[in-house]
Amino acid sequence: MTEPIVEAAGVTKSFGAVEALRDVSVSMTDRAIGLLGANGAGKSTLMRVMLGLVRPDAGSIRVLGLDAARQSWDVHRRLGYMPEHDCLPLGMTAADFVVHMAELRGLPHRTAVLRGSEVLFHVGLEEERSRLISTFSVGMRQRTNLAQAIVHSPRLVILDEPTNGLDPAGRDEMLHLVRRLSTELGISVIMSSHVLEDIARTCESVVVLREGQVAVTRPIETEGRDAPVSLHVRVSGEIAAFTAAIGRRGASVEDAGEDVLVISGPEPGGLPDAVRDAAAESGAGLREMRPAGPSLEDSLLEAMT
Amino acid sequence: MSTETRVHDVRFTRFEGELDGEGAAIISLARWSALRSMGARRSWKVKLIPIALTLIAFAPAIVVLGLRALFSTRVQINIETALPYRDYAGMIGLVITLFAAVTTPELLCPDRRDRVLTLYFSTALTRGQYVFGKVLAAIVPLLLLTLVPMWFLYAGNVLFAVHPVGYVQDHAADALRITVSGIALAAWFGLVGLAVASLTGRRAFAVGGYLALITVPTIIGGTLASATGTFKLELLGFPVAPLNLVEALYPDYQADLSPAWWVGDYFLVVAASLALVIWRYRTVDV
Repeated sequence: MTEPIVEAAGVTKSFGAVEALRDVSVSMTDRAIGLLGANGAGKSTLMRVMLGLVRPDAGSIRVLGLDAARQSWDVHRRLGYMPEHDCLPLGMTAADFVVHMAELRGLPHRTAVLRGSEVLFHVGLEEERSRLISTFSVGMRQRTNLAQAIVHSPRLVILDEPTNGLDPAGRDEMLHLVRRLSTELGISVIMSSHVLEDIARTCESVVVLREGQVAVTRPIETEGRDAPVSLHVRVSGEIAAFTAAIGRRGASVEDAGEDVLVISGPEPGGLPDAVRDAAAESGAGLREMRPAGPSLEDSLLEAMT
Repeated sequence: MSTETRVHDVRFTRFEGELDGEGAAIISLARWSALRSMGARRSWKVKLIPIALTLIAFAPAIVVLGLRALFSTRVQINIETALPYRDYAGMIGLVITLFAAVTTPELLCPDRRDRVLTLYFSTALTRGQYVFGKVLAAIVPLLLLTLVPMWFLYAGNVLFAVHPVGYVQDHAADALRITVSGIALAAWFGLVGLAVASLTGRRAFAVGGYLALITVPTIIGGTLASATGTFKLELLGFPVAPLNLVEALYPDYQADLSPAWWVGDYFLVVAASLALVIWRYRTVDV
C-alpha cells in the first residue's frame, strides 16, 4: 500500500468563534491532490496546518510520514510552498530570490545558483531572471513563486490557489506547469482551488471541503475520464428511426421525456460511436450527447454547497 | 570512436545531495540580509550612504595615521595622545547612530511589507532562527564602524612604534578593550535599531523612530541632569550608555556616575530590545 503523503486525524482548528476545521480526517495518497471548496471552506487553514504554521486545537497531521507539528523542521526541508497571496520581495531579482530560498532550505551556494537557474528556465523566466520582481506582471510573479517552491527538489509542493489573478493564457500556462510537476518531475502536489476545472486538469484525486469538514474524497480519473456507461442523448427529426437504429447496435433506449433518450449499451467504450452511427443512418439530428447521471462537476458542486 | 550521439535534457534535475544544517540557513539569511542592507546588488543611491558613513568612521584613524606617516620627520606626532582609543567611539558616535538608522530598518521592514515571512516560516526557518539571523545581520556590518577602524588605528600604532613587538605586549589590554567595546557598541545600536524596525513595515517610520529614540532621551536626560544637578537623571539619556560604558573600560575613567550604573543601563536596553524583537516575531501573523 502506498504511504500517504498527508494523513490527518481529527484535525480541529478554531480562530476565536470561527471553527475553520472540524474533525478533519483524510488520507491523501495520490501524486496530485486537489483541495476544492468555496472561499472560507478551510482549504488554506488545512494547508497551514500541514506546513506547521498553525497548530491544530485537536487531532494530528502527518506529512510525508512526519508529524507536522513536532517535526516541522524535517517537514519543511521536504516541502515547497506557494502561498496564495503576494509574498515576494519586490526589491530583489527573481534569480537572487530563488537562490536565496534554496540556500535557506539547505542547498550549498553553488548548487543553489545552479538549481535557481534551472527552475527559472523550467517556469519560463530564463530571460527575466535578472529583473527586479517589482517590475514583473502577476503571471511572472506567480511563476517566480512556483520556482522558489520547487528549487530545492521537494518531495511535496503545496500550492495555494496558484491561478489566482491570472489571465486565461497565464492560467493555462500555470496549470500546465503544475501538471508537469507530478507527471514529469516526480514531485507530489497538493493544490487548492475553488475552480473545479483547475483541479480536474491537474490532479488525480480531489478532497472537497465544506464549512471546515471533508465533504467528499474521490478520484478524478474514474469520474471524469473513463467511458460513460450510459448517455443522455437529445435528437431531432427521425426519432423512431434513430431508436430502431440504436437498438440494432445492441443498446437499450429509455425515453426520459422532452426529447431526451437515455441510452445504455453492453460495451460502454463504443457507446458514443454507436450513437453517432445510428444518427447518421437514421437521418436524425444529434443535438446533445453527454454522460448520463451526475457529472463530476454536478456531484462536486453538490458536495460543496 | 563512437558514432552514437545522445541528447540529455539536464535542465531540471533532482537534487539528491546532502542538505546543509540549520546553522548554514541562519548564516545564509544573515549574509544576504547584511549585504542588502549595505546596498549590495542594488542601485548606487542605496549603496552611497552606508559606504560614505563607513569611510567617515575610518576618517579619524586615516587622518592621524596619514599625518604621522607623511610628516613624522618634521612634526612629532604622538598618535596615542592625538587620538586615544577611549575617545574614538565618542568621536564617531553620530556616524554609528546614522549607520544603524539606515541599515537596521532595511533588515526587517521589507520582509514585513512584502509579506515574505510567510515563505520563510513555512518552508525555511523557524521564527527564532529568523531573529537570530537578523541580529547577526545587524551587528556584523556595524562592526565595520565600531571595531574595524579601531583595529586599523591599533595596527597603525603597532607599525609606527619604535618597537612594534613591545607595543603589542604593552597594549594587549587595549586590544581586548577595543574588541569588547566594538562588539558592545555594535550590539547596542544594532539591537535598538532592530527593536524599532520590528514595530513597523514602513522603512521611513523605522528610520525616524530610531533617530527620535536616540536623540530625544539624550537631550532630555542631559538637560534634566544639568538643570537639577542630579546626575542619576543622566540615565534617562540611555543612548549615551554604550559610549559611557566604552569609556569606563579604559583606565582613568572619570564621571559623575559609577560605571555600574551605565553597565546596568546598557544591559537593560539590550535585553529589552532583544525581548521586543523576539516577542514581535513570536506573535507576528503570517
